[in-house]
Amino acid sequence: MAPLLLGVIGLVGLFQVLVTPKMLASLFLGNFLVDTLIGTLAGAVASGNPIVSYLLAGELQEQGISLYAVSAFILSWVTLGFVHLPAEIEVFGGRFVLYRNILAFVFTMIIAILTTLSLQVLS
Amino acid sequence: MKKQEKPFAFRGKYLLLVVIIFYGVFFLANSETALSALQKSATLLIKILPIFVVVILFTALLNYFMQPKQIADHLGRGSGARGWLWALIAGVISHGPMYAWYSLLEDLRSHGMRDGLIVVFFASRTIKIPLLPIMIDYFGWIFTLLLSFYILIGALVQGWILEIMEQRLR
Repeated sequence: MAPLLLGVIGLVGLFQVLVTPKMLASLFLGNFLVDTLIGTLAGAVASGNPIVSYLLAGELQEQGISLYAVSAFILSWVTLGFVHLPAEIEVFGGRFVLYRNILAFVFTMIIAILTTLSLQVLS
Repeated sequence: MKKQEKPFAFRGKYLLLVVIIFYGVFFLANSETALSALQKSATLLIKILPIFVVVILFTALLNYFMQPKQIADHLGRGSGARGWLWALIAGVISHGPMYAWYSLLEDLRSHGMRDGLIVVFFASRTIKIPLLPIMIDYFGWIFTLLLSFYILIGALVQGWILEIMEQRLR
């Protein structure tokens, strides 16, 4: 499994250099539903330590990006990863990976929306 | 039950080859950025090496001390609520990147671990206990509490849906 992991780590390094926080912030449009979708996709494309996702999410929120999008970004950073897909498919098989990622994608959006709505109700 | 030996395979050789080609092209186009990417990868590798060691040790211990039937009892078809709970707890306390856990999960799956529980494990990994204070600091404790609660419920629902999908397709 060493070549597989080295391949993924190599890809993560490339993405960390190529996908910058500025690039991420420029993606959001201001519509909560579209931004949740963009947040999910951005988190899935970006990769690295989860602590980086919190720092980036904090920066995004300061720039006025909605909490829907920020929550989705934090969630998909860990559960989804385009960079990991080749390795995940090789280990678990295409069908399982397809189902898992579709579920993770849909639930990332649902959880982000529910969390933000609940927070609004509570506060 | 005799354990089935898997033939040795040089896993991920094509992925590694493609990544090496990427780096080669990248070095020719922009050597400074390519070097920076390589440094980030090296730093990441050094950082997660201890996790790989833990995973390899854990896999070895599991194979040595537990029979496939015991694993199937805890994480297989008949594991019931206990299996879901194990997967949820394991996901929450697991550390490091997702791919560090692939080999252990692959091993457990070959011994009978349900696919639904793998989904629960991956989905509940979003809760990072050591990072919770940072999340609270950035987004507040109510947000952190709500998010964690929905993550746990969502993880279980995802596992449950996956099992239904797999049953329907069988």
